[in-house]
Amino acid sequence: MRIIGDLGPHCLTSEGLAEGPCKYSRPTIGEGGYGSFNFLYGPSAGGLLESVAFDILTYGESIEDVRALSYKTRHIKVGGLPLRDVLFKVERINVPFAASHTIAFLTAVENALGVSPPEEVVESRIAQLELERIRNNLLVIQRLAEAASFLVPTYRLLYYVEEVNRAISRSCGHRYFLGANYLGESRCQELHLPRIDVEELRDLLSNRIFIDRLQGNGVVKEDWAIGPAARAAGFSYDARLEVPELKYRDHGFKIVTESKGDAFSRMLVRLEEIEVSLKILEGVEVKPRRFELPSREGRGIGRVESPSGDLAYMVQVEQGSIKELHLLPPSRINILLFLRSMPENIFTDFPFNWESFGIWISEAEVSIS
Amino acid sequence: MNWFLRGIRRGILTEKEFPQVQWPSELHRSKEGEVKCPTDALKEDRWDPNRCIFCRACEPILSPTGRSVQAQVKRSEPSFRRSFYLYPIDVGTCGGCNLEFRLIASPQYDMTRFGIFLTNTPRHADALVVMGVMTPKMEEVLRRAYDAMPEPKLVILLGVCAVSGGILGMPPDIRGDVVIPGCPPTPESILRALVEAKSGE
Repeated sequence: MRIIGDLGPHCLTSEGLAEGPCKYSRPTIGEGGYGSFNFLYGPSAGGLLESVAFDILTYGESIEDVRALSYKTRHIKVGGLPLRDVLFKVERINVPFAASHTIAFLTAVENALGVSPPEEVVESRIAQLELERIRNNLLVIQRLAEAASFLVPTYRLLYYVEEVNRAISRSCGHRYFLGANYLGESRCQELHLPRIDVEELRDLLSNRIFIDRLQGNGVVKEDWAIGPAARAAGFSYDARLEVPELKYRDHGFKIVTESKGDAFSRMLVRLEEIEVSLKILEGVEVKPRRFELPSREGRGIGRVESPSGDLAYMVQVEQGSIKELHLLPPSRINILLFLRSMPENIFTDFPFNWESFGIWISEAEVSIS
Repeated sequence: MNWFLRGIRRGILTEKEFPQVQWPSELHRSKEGEVKCPTDALKEDRWDPNRCIFCRACEPILSPTGRSVQAQVKRSEPSFRRSFYLYPIDVGTCGGCNLEFRLIASPQYDMTRFGIFLTNTPRHADALVVMGVMTPKMEEVLRRAYDAMPEPKLVILLGVCAVSGGILGMPPDIRGDVVIPGCPPTPESILRALVEAKSGE
């Protein structure tokens, strides 16, 4: 059994809900000695894709401790709203992970109503999750190359990100899967695969200057890690093999792991997972399909492996509306891992370590009521 | 292979025409019937792109045309014709606008061919690109960024959240010289609006 994270008042584990909150060591605020000072980076600054601030305790070069400060917390009301309206909001919690959020939410609703989607819907969902993973892994590696001012690969990777977006748009109508999934319906038409030269991406590993920025940077080996951060530290954690609803085992899926637990290992895992995802996509057939959702009441959990790790929803449905909704976004756990991994590194390590976790502030700081 | 040579050998990837996107694109009425729009983007038979989140709740009564959603350029600044520096500020996004805005730098779109660049500080910015719904702690950050910019300056509202609040909140309290609808707007929409804003063409 492994700890996944806090889901409302409960602790979600690989074997179901346990009494919450989860028992993992939370970051403590360090105290500086003589000569230390606090440096504030953010909330709106060059180099950051989203608004977030960091309070960094330092003596000048080494980082003693880091705190993340919330700035862009969005308060989203869902209680009492019809399922359709909640779905539109769930899609927009973190649009780069819109397929993961929507599929986890819809799975939770289907489990609450006691219905299993047909095979075609399951296949379409696998295709969406893997396309989303490819795009996000490319983006994370692009951000790492950009942090190193490694410009040709930076723009080659941006080219591939755009190619994936176009493939998604041709397959499902929207570049970020918005509207591609609906209550009792999957709308993606036909799968279009992006053309990605994985061998070209592997050439990043032949640049010693780039690798030096990543190796030994941000080592984290906590057993409560999730997603690529866990797999980079040698843990074979992946919701794709733990969740029965999405039948990944039928597609010959294998987990990619590394052992060092640093930013370089996290990049290697993401790089290899692009190839794994492309192989899964070769065996998937996508077509639109509708199915009936019964008018029942109940409580259900939905979990998927998002590009940055486990993402889960727990819902309570009553009379076609949401009575209760809890979200566990992967970025919330990844921020804790980032904060834990940052002390004892230096300032120039910061952007590489931050980008290597693939964190989205939009989902980490969202407040759902 | 050396990355510099690789870049050259791939040739020019920048495009003059971009592939059609269905969602978001301009919508038109293709059937009669009632629509229950979650953001009131359809009133008295008039579709308002500034409110539309392209959720597809109106399908098939309204259907996409594939034409890029048109931005509204209320004021352009010809002095930015040769170089136009942008400072993006995220006041409460879902990440979608951030990513689409980033992609105007991808080789397919290549914003630099139009003299459009990003800057890391509002002190050097010609335009402030505002994205997302207004969140309380970002109000002061937005005001300070705007005040720090030199004159003349433009404000660009990017995405339906910044334009009207979309489905998730309230828009920022700032007048937009350029309004780019979409959820999120495509890189093509963004680039067309920026080119018009900098030169009036």
